[in-house]
Amino acid sequence: MIFLELFSSKKTVFSYHPSSLKQRVALCLVAIAFMSTVHASVDDALAFAYEASLPYAKQYAFRKDAWGGDLGVKEKKAVMAQLFKGNDYWFIMASDVKNAKVSVHLYDALGKLAESEAWQRTHDKKHCASAGSHIIPEKTGTYFAIVEVLKSPEERTPWALVYGYKDFKEKDLKASK
Amino acid sequence: MTSPLACSSWTLSSGLLIFFFFLFSLSLLRAEGVPMSINLSDFPAASVQDVVVPVPSEIFGVLDQLGNPNWRAQLRLRKTQTPDDRAQVALLLGSVIAEGFIAVEAEDAERVKELGRDVLTLADAINVRKSVITRSKSIIDKANHRDWHGVRVEFDGALQDVRAAMDEMNDEDLAQLVSLGGWLRGTDALTAIVDEHYTPSGAELLHQPELVRYFDRCINRMSPRLRKNPLVVRIHSILSQIAPIIDGKKQDIPREQIKKIHSLTDDVVQKINDIS
Repeated sequence: MIFLELFSSKKTVFSYHPSSLKQRVALCLVAIAFMSTVHASVDDALAFAYEASLPYAKQYAFRKDAWGGDLGVKEKKAVMAQLFKGNDYWFIMASDVKNAKVSVHLYDALGKLAESEAWQRTHDKKHCASAGSHIIPEKTGTYFAIVEVLKSPEERTPWALVYGYKDFKEKDLKASK
Repeated sequence: MTSPLACSSWTLSSGLLIFFFFLFSLSLLRAEGVPMSINLSDFPAASVQDVVVPVPSEIFGVLDQLGNPNWRAQLRLRKTQTPDDRAQVALLLGSVIAEGFIAVEAEDAERVKELGRDVLTLADAINVRKSVITRSKSIIDKANHRDWHGVRVEFDGALQDVRAAMDEMNDEDLAQLVSLGGWLRGTDALTAIVDEHYTPSGAELLHQPELVRYFDRCINRMSPRLRKNPLVVRIHSILSQIAPIIDGKKQDIPREQIKKIHSLTDDVVQKINDIS
């Protein structure tokens, strides 16, 4: 299982190979299914992040590069991203810890909330939690995705964050408003 | 007696009132628990994860909206040769991938195909040929069909696959040089295009301060041998000259500064392509 070898707990920005998003999700889920003991891990969280991004995959190109790590409850982490005015982005975060709740929100370089919408979901059947944040940047520059574990039964909760982008169209702005 | 019309208009306005109250409540709910602003100094370096270098299509997609620049004039038509120095090969590979995007913008199918083959040759020189064989073939196939979007996807994929293959071989420094080569060539072309038809919104695309700092950190973390490589030394110096230009609090980058960035990046891209 290629992706399992590529991640280590120390490596927080990672990338891996399968080309299409569906392939990536399928590979990750098959790997999880074969794991004899289910330990929460960043690569499982990544599989769920890609799965949670599937509804957007037709319109948005999701990067293979991703961020990940583990956090305690109410602990936050900032993830830097270079975003371009003229693009439209979705950031999707997930964790594979059952009954956890995670969130991701996007702020500009001055620390102002810059997202146009955000959501959080807990999936009881899939034993995972996910969150999303949507932004159509008004300026080109550095943005901060603030990831947080809102609640979790675990002391440390693995998480992964991916993002997808597409060219911004005027009608998208109207729709997002 | 209340007329049916008055009654329906009352119902309508009270309905609207309830609807707007519902919307207002929803907006409060969304705002609840989500601070409208944060103090970024609350996040020390240890709790901040590094920026991921944007793939070329993130930038070229935006450039499509800048009107109709003369992309053909930006194409470098010289034949790509393979250097002996692995660092130069990595930089050149990134540069060639960015060149592929320019050829796509120029809709030059023959040049795209040449660059698709060059990607394979250069990848071979740094032992990551296997990772891009399929991509290279797809680039050529899609260029034959003038499927420009498809070609962009393949060039993006080639960049990410090459990087992933290098990471797997613990060649992270070379992987960074591939990204750096792509960024330099992309910035070289972008500044030429922005300068040609200067607008503040076009110039704003160069507002990438964290990315420049990130590349600077990457070079600082490279092995002493690589840090002494003449091309890497030159690039390091260029980054330190570009950083203050795009690091200002003001979003607008004046035309003279665009020209300066272009001159710096154009010079180093020529050096990357130069086999002497």
